[in-house]
Amino acid sequence: MEFVLQQLVGFGGAFFALVADPLTYAYLIVSVFLGITFGALPGLTATLAVTILTGFFGNKIPLDYSLIALLGAYVGAIYGGSYPSILLNIPGTAASAATAMDGYPLAKAGRGGEALGLTTTASFIGTLIGTIALLVFVWVLLLLSKNIASPEKALLALFGILLSGTLMSEDLVIKGWIAGLIGLAMAMVGLDPLLSEPRYTFGWSYMMSGFQVVPVLMGAFAVPQIIDGMRHMQVGKVMALKGRILPNLRTVRKNLPTITRSGVIGTGVGALPGVGEDVAGWVSYGVGKTVSDEGEKFGKGSLDGLLCSETANNACIGGALIPLLVLGIPGSPPAAALMGAFKINNIIPGPTIDPEIILRVVAIMVLASFTMFIMGLFTARVFIKILRIPQVVFLPIVMVPTTIGSFSVGGGINDLYLMLGVGFVAYFLNMLKFPIAPLVIGVILGGLFDETFRRSLLISGGDLFVFASRPVAGILLMLNVALVLSQFPATKRMFARLRNRIA
Amino acid sequence: MDDDDTAVLRARDFWGALVLIGVSVFFLWRTLDIPLWGGNRAGVSAASWYNSAAIVPLGIFSAMLVLSIILLIIAIRAGGAQRALTAVGIGWNRAEAIRFTTIGIILFFYIAGLVPRVDFVICSGLLITALTFGFHQGQVKRMILSASVVAMCGAYTLVQHLPQSEWGAHDDDVVTLIAWAGLTLIVLASARGDRVLKACPVIAVTAPVLLVCAMAFGFRQNVPNRGGLIFKQIEYHYYVTLRPIWRS
Repeated sequence: MEFVLQQLVGFGGAFFALVADPLTYAYLIVSVFLGITFGALPGLTATLAVTILTGFFGNKIPLDYSLIALLGAYVGAIYGGSYPSILLNIPGTAASAATAMDGYPLAKAGRGGEALGLTTTASFIGTLIGTIALLVFVWVLLLLSKNIASPEKALLALFGILLSGTLMSEDLVIKGWIAGLIGLAMAMVGLDPLLSEPRYTFGWSYMMSGFQVVPVLMGAFAVPQIIDGMRHMQVGKVMALKGRILPNLRTVRKNLPTITRSGVIGTGVGALPGVGEDVAGWVSYGVGKTVSDEGEKFGKGSLDGLLCSETANNACIGGALIPLLVLGIPGSPPAAALMGAFKINNIIPGPTIDPEIILRVVAIMVLASFTMFIMGLFTARVFIKILRIPQVVFLPIVMVPTTIGSFSVGGGINDLYLMLGVGFVAYFLNMLKFPIAPLVIGVILGGLFDETFRRSLLISGGDLFVFASRPVAGILLMLNVALVLSQFPATKRMFARLRNRIA
Repeated sequence: MDDDDTAVLRARDFWGALVLIGVSVFFLWRTLDIPLWGGNRAGVSAASWYNSAAIVPLGIFSAMLVLSIILLIIAIRAGGAQRALTAVGIGWNRAEAIRFTTIGIILFFYIAGLVPRVDFVICSGLLITALTFGFHQGQVKRMILSASVVAMCGAYTLVQHLPQSEWGAHDDDVVTLIAWAGLTLIVLASARGDRVLKACPVIAVTAPVLLVCAMAFGFRQNVPNRGGLIFKQIEYHYYVTLRPIWRS
């Protein structure tokens, strides 16, 4: 009880400090608006919003404002994806793909206003559920993480990359793992962290400091998006918004169990390293279809179905921040971009993070979700107008802040070359259906993996048993091995036989 | 994905796996340059294998090699190798190839040629105009024209001012400005009844100016080519004409 009170007092202090600062509102309103706009425009994503703002704000403004801008954009963009899903039947972001299944039929049936209002409310409650989970679990995990040493960190980083590769692969799982390995390989460039031995620098002094995170993020997420989106496309017919957007309190109360369940699922999925909001949306939608009374109506215009995905993808944000803040392992691709922002501000997320920062993150999340809620309910018609802008208009503009952002974070022109190179490679990888998120997570976690893996061996005198001798390390090693083995054809056959026998 | 898409994907995977195998082998070979079994660096002995900076990269590239070989086997078993040598097999699409090549040319010359050497407002304005005009209607002629204009400006800057010591020159600013103006005239000539093309010149001017000013004066970030033809004037008037107004 004392612990909870202490947390609430700490959170209250951080919250009122933010509320009392007028600049908070300026950053918050602009960033949430930008976020919703990015989410609403098909072709722009939440990851791109956070990535571009990371480059744009860099480390030249105080961290608090930087975090307000990035988290505001993150929350706004995940919510904004619901607009085109409902009104155009095109998901604005991958996270809203499941939303389109029921949102569009609802809009076609003349219930677009109701769908948008409930989506806004569900996203708001979902974000709050994720944020509360962040406030509570981050501290529990921080206490536990004091026992986490180098072997556990190395295995966790590996688990994050493997899990992200496994779950984010659209085609073969092996492609996700290869993408993760490419990211890890990119992180090996430069002076090694223990002996300062130059690796793969090819005599170029720029390479000595390794690849910077921001240009890699820009290259991996922005450039392929621009290349892919620059094509002639008819803007779909936006459904006319019928009915009032302001939700009916009775309907909200009726759907509260669905919203709460989806919020918990979204937070849980978000807490898995490297797994994004899209997975959270689909998992919650799948669970909802199984347990909901109107499961058979899912995909035909069910409010339950709509709320399942929309609540979960926003709740996922809070969940994704848990492993990021506690372990330094991003829980989703936009969280990977946030990690980049922490890094360029010289903050190392993990067990040694300043607890004040966590409280501020929670306070910002609460404020951002309120801003999103108000904007969603009262300025929805502005965002609907934005849906009519074709991609060929906004994507060339996106290239400009992408370029300035990459240039300004430190490496200058060389960072731009890096961004372009990574961008072209990422485009081809996309074409071959290799997921990009594991690559970025590999780049971000590569340094941590290299350092902690070798430090573990150094401490143990080269004894590989160090990765199994401690309880947490042993569990993590088993998880890694199980994850790899689960993808072997023989294991899959064995599980299929077992399932058949049980059935 | 339907069967046809999967078949095309496996043919592409065949080539992709071969490239990945090549990359893995190359970097494994380069990793051998890093001392593994005890080396001496500046008099400090790195005596054991587990101390070595090569151990993690060796693991990464070995794993990548193994996974690439598995991907190659999967692709061959699915008939990817048989389809890999035909254009139809790898899903070659001429229109898509032209689209990608022209965008690639525009982005390459923008980043490698123009951004370091030409005023950022001018080169970004040209980029926005070229991309919007070239790809708005999906017409191949427009794509090629846009790419040619950007390539011409980029090639000029690269040929005339390759070394960093010459990046401050302004003749390339003028050449790019003229090319941008020319392309804008073509855009306006083709803009009848097209709202996107009508808005294009306005967006091409306002977006870079606003973004670069916000970055340089709002967030005090470094921006490319501060000595460029237009930005130099903006910066001068910001500090000499505008700023004293609210500073005093």
